[in-house]
Amino acid sequence: MKRTTHINPTWCPGCGNFGILGAIKQALDKLNLEPHQFTTVYDVGCSGNMADFIYSYGFHGLHGRTLPVAAGIKLGNHKLPVIAIIGDGGCFGEGLSHFISLARGNHDILVLTHDNYLYSLTTGQMSPTSKKGTKTPSTPEGSIEETFNPLASSILNHATFVARGFAGDIPHLANLIEQGLNHKGFAFLDILQPCITYNKDMPYNWYRKNIYDLKEKNHDPKDKAAALNKALETDKLPIGVFLQKQKPAFHEQISNFSDTPLANHDISNIDLTNIL
Amino acid sequence: MNSIMTAFNWKIAGAAGEGIKKSGLIFAKTCFKHGLNVQGYTEYPSLIRGGHNTFQIHASSEEITSPLYSLNVLVDIHGQANEIHKNELTKDTIILADNLPLSDLVKKAGGIPKMKNMAALGASAFLLGLSLDLLNKTLAEIFVKKGEEIITSNQKVAKAGFDYAQTNFKDKAHQPIKINPEIKNKIFITGNQAISYGAIAGGMKLFIAYPMTPATSILHTLAAKAKQANIAVRHAEDEIGTINMAIGAGFAGVRSMVATSGGGFSLMTEGLGLSGITETPLVIVNAMRPGPASGMPTWSSQGDLLYAIHASQDEFPRIIITPGDPQECFQLSKLAQNLAEKYQLPVIILTDKYLGESYFTINKPELKHQNQRFGFADTKNLNNEKPFKRYLDTNTGISPRTIPGQSGGVHLANSYEHDKLGYATEEKEERVKQVNKRTKKTAQILKDPDFISPILYGPETADQTIISWGSNKSVILEALKQLKNTNFIHFPIVWPFPADKFLQLTKSAKKLFTLECNSTGQLNQLIRQQTGLKIDNQILKYDGRPFFPYEIIKELS
Repeated sequence: MKRTTHINPTWCPGCGNFGILGAIKQALDKLNLEPHQFTTVYDVGCSGNMADFIYSYGFHGLHGRTLPVAAGIKLGNHKLPVIAIIGDGGCFGEGLSHFISLARGNHDILVLTHDNYLYSLTTGQMSPTSKKGTKTPSTPEGSIEETFNPLASSILNHATFVARGFAGDIPHLANLIEQGLNHKGFAFLDILQPCITYNKDMPYNWYRKNIYDLKEKNHDPKDKAAALNKALETDKLPIGVFLQKQKPAFHEQISNFSDTPLANHDISNIDLTNIL
Repeated sequence: MNSIMTAFNWKIAGAAGEGIKKSGLIFAKTCFKHGLNVQGYTEYPSLIRGGHNTFQIHASSEEITSPLYSLNVLVDIHGQANEIHKNELTKDTIILADNLPLSDLVKKAGGIPKMKNMAALGASAFLLGLSLDLLNKTLAEIFVKKGEEIITSNQKVAKAGFDYAQTNFKDKAHQPIKINPEIKNKIFITGNQAISYGAIAGGMKLFIAYPMTPATSILHTLAAKAKQANIAVRHAEDEIGTINMAIGAGFAGVRSMVATSGGGFSLMTEGLGLSGITETPLVIVNAMRPGPASGMPTWSSQGDLLYAIHASQDEFPRIIITPGDPQECFQLSKLAQNLAEKYQLPVIILTDKYLGESYFTINKPELKHQNQRFGFADTKNLNNEKPFKRYLDTNTGISPRTIPGQSGGVHLANSYEHDKLGYATEEKEERVKQVNKRTKKTAQILKDPDFISPILYGPETADQTIISWGSNKSVILEALKQLKNTNFIHFPIVWPFPADKFLQLTKSAKKLFTLECNSTGQLNQLIRQQTGLKIDNQILKYDGRPFFPYEIIKELS
């Protein structure tokens, strides 16, 4: 099935985004989703440039504002899977309020955060996930803020699917994306993404040495407290599914929300007799 | 007993938390039930307790459109209104204050202290020749959710006030005002309600907002009617989330609307541009209040006209709709839904606190509404492996669109400048082509048969002509009743600027005046920019209050 456009990716050779794109394609193939049967929404950043490369209905939005667009598309047509592609800067910096709020509402979207610990499209400034003390062009003396914890924040704010993957392990990541797409509700997948150009301290090998699979530790994704504990680990980074809960999605909780997508409602005749 | 009146002007004033607005609304509905045209205007500070709140009612057997200044009756609940409103009093104004022992009446009627306003309403009803039965009926309706006991005790207090007035103020009482037989075809409605119902009539299926005075009652109205109207309503995390979510739904094919005031509109500005460049239909209501920044939240202004026309970086077509009364709020809110979809662009409805939150008596809108869908491409014969030309250049600038889920329509909507497929481009030819394509829509909009050109009210030729936009219409029409040799040009749609139609109307005009609620004459500037016509006479008001008819009459007499 056609998965990519005629445009070649413009990422740096070796960029983690290649691995993520590969994993997305694998998951879509596995689920046999045709290009018109889902929508992908992109933030502004290196990750968002994927908008020109994936062949599907897509919306390339504003920096930090991708998640509300994605949730709006879902409300407009709840039959279609919606994937949001966003970086750590857009998701946890500019657009944090949307991330928290849409998680709390259990909006049925899959959020793929390409987390490279930096703002790379703007040439490598610190991001909310940068370790305190990180020296970047905007923080030459080292960053002052403590690191934002995306996984713990999403767990505390009622996301119903929380996972972490690694751009360097495509089959594992593809499986997480597939699970996220199958999940009904707010699915958050934080993806460890090496930025080989600006984040020289965290190349592929650094990640390989510092990650481990939650499956090895018999973690139970139904156990919220255990998931939170795992999310608080920062010396070694667990990957896999931290948490999965079954709860009605936002649109399923709107009373009278019909099975027919809003986009397909017939508006040719509207009667206000019961309204005025 | 006094002679028969055709109209009266009544005001109740007290502190926030004393139920002033509710009491005013009860009395307004009673007047409406009596068979009068009613206009209700409320002033209140941005707080929940204390301060000074008012609700005033202009009621008449004739058509009326705006509040009046001088009062026939002032109900002073907290003993300060007499002083605050001294300029609104005439030698004939009846003041209900210490002369009406509210607390005693409540006690005797077995009510609780917060029912004291009901005694004042009872007394007012007697003085203005309204029946106690009608007041009781209104009370039963307003308190229906609170139960029989609350209704009955409020009614008892109202009767105590009515009886007290009958005994003590008999000489001041008026005979009942003549009933307007057409009232049964009318409704009593605010501008914000009319916008809400108009949007439903226009096929809006999703409404999103973050509360902001004076737009909040649109959110309340639509949330309350969501089930019956079969629409979705979301109170979002902030105005940025609000507009982006509405754009997402618009992209998916849903007619969507958001509502806010200036501060929230400022936050939405980047999203406004997103709707512009992605050509996603969207309706935004900006209910104006004085600013900048937090300004005067609960007051009225028309300071955002030029801002709405220019908001967001760079250039793209948009439509600015400026209804003058609830009738137009309804009609133009429906039209906004259709124009947004037809031209694939943002439509901004500019109202203000006065129009949005005041109550008006208008002809009942049509109940059955037809809507046509615009611009959706039939793609069943197209290859699903080939991207759809979503931004194809056309004669009108409007490109056929497809929505997610539709085979053969796969494309990218892009906040970056893009080619006809939607993919990002920085090539100069593509850039110019897309800018030109979008810009072409402006000329099309002005030619649209549904576009509403400036409207002339009053005699075709007159010595003086008032030019205005938005809510001033309602006040100017009231003033015209007393102004000789004066007519009025109203702009229901200000942008794109209908220069030709406007100049046709002013061709034979003698002396022109612009009238606006801002300090720099924004429509006046716009007219000069768009037509070269320089209008030297400006009537401006920017104290947070709407014009009152007497002010316009004074300026033009």
